[in-house]
Amino acid sequence: MRLTVNGEPHNHTGDKTIEALLKEIGADPRRVVVMINGDVVCREARASVRLEDGDIVEVLAFAGGG
Amino acid sequence: MNSGMSKGINSAWKLGNHAFESRLLIGTGKFSSVEIMVAAVRASGAQLVTVALRRFNRERPSDDLYGPLSGLPGVTIVPNTSGARNAEEAVRAALLGRELSGSPFVKLEIHPNPHHLMPDPIETFEAARELVKEGFLVLPYMPADPVLAKRLEEIGCAAVMPLGSAIGSGHGLRTREMLEIIIRDSNVPVIVDAGLRSPSEASLAMEMGCEAVLVNSAIAAADNPPAMAAAFAMAVRAGYAAREAGLMSKSDNAVPTSPLTAFLKEETP
Repeated sequence: MRLTVNGEPHNHTGDKTIEALLKEIGADPRRVVVMINGDVVCREARASVRLEDGDIVEVLAFAGGG
Repeated sequence: MNSGMSKGINSAWKLGNHAFESRLLIGTGKFSSVEIMVAAVRASGAQLVTVALRRFNRERPSDDLYGPLSGLPGVTIVPNTSGARNAEEAVRAALLGRELSGSPFVKLEIHPNPHHLMPDPIETFEAARELVKEGFLVLPYMPADPVLAKRLEEIGCAAVMPLGSAIGSGHGLRTREMLEIIIRDSNVPVIVDAGLRSPSEASLAMEMGCEAVLVNSAIAAADNPPAMAAAFAMAVRAGYAAREAGLMSKSDNAVPTSPLTAFLKEETP
């Protein structure tokens, strides 16, 4: 399944859950927030959302900012 | 104050229903390391700490501030919307920040021009209106414009955050006259955000009547950030305490502090 993750092409091989993708890219699920095709994925929905071919995924974390 | 009694330097202030003792908010950008940033936050005594959202990068795990900040007792994270160029992007950034932090606060900032980083008043107003509807306690970074401050208050922002001068410029309270009008007319806390360089400027902002100040660059870019954070904390307390104590009125003429009886002169009978 071809995804775009944080602006880069990403070939996703695991199951179609967000948890699997986060594990694959090395992100701690508690410390990131996910957006798919411009929509914020809330925590409650995270387990039920299924990734689809062509999805544009943003995985975001807190960084320094004023 | 009629009673002549000061409320004391530890008097709390409020954003929505949330009360805070510290009147110094700290930004976490531009620190040379996470350790120094954490030490500065501790030294500052800040209870509200701003962060930005960035793409997760496994090559730079030190970028992730969630862990280090959530371990600090008494600290509430205030996600900002930096990077947003318009209201739509800012609302999305705010929703993402809330999802990750669980914080009710958002520092709304929309500054589309990277050269001067001046906040876009129109997009900021539109985003603020939407975010208030979404239940956020909105802290809008804004030009020091009394009309806009009133409009943002009227639509339900929890505070207004006018700039002292350009972000990171260190030019202090260039907008002083406008800040004084905003403070005089505001029914929500006024937090000066951006441009402060020295603790004396933070003191002055507090003496003028600001409820709090937000400082980032001045601390992060100091030779010793934790020491500078402590200095700002003292200055903010001093400025607030001075305001509560009641500053004397100004006079165009000198007013002696000692009696001027001429006892040293030879009296001529």
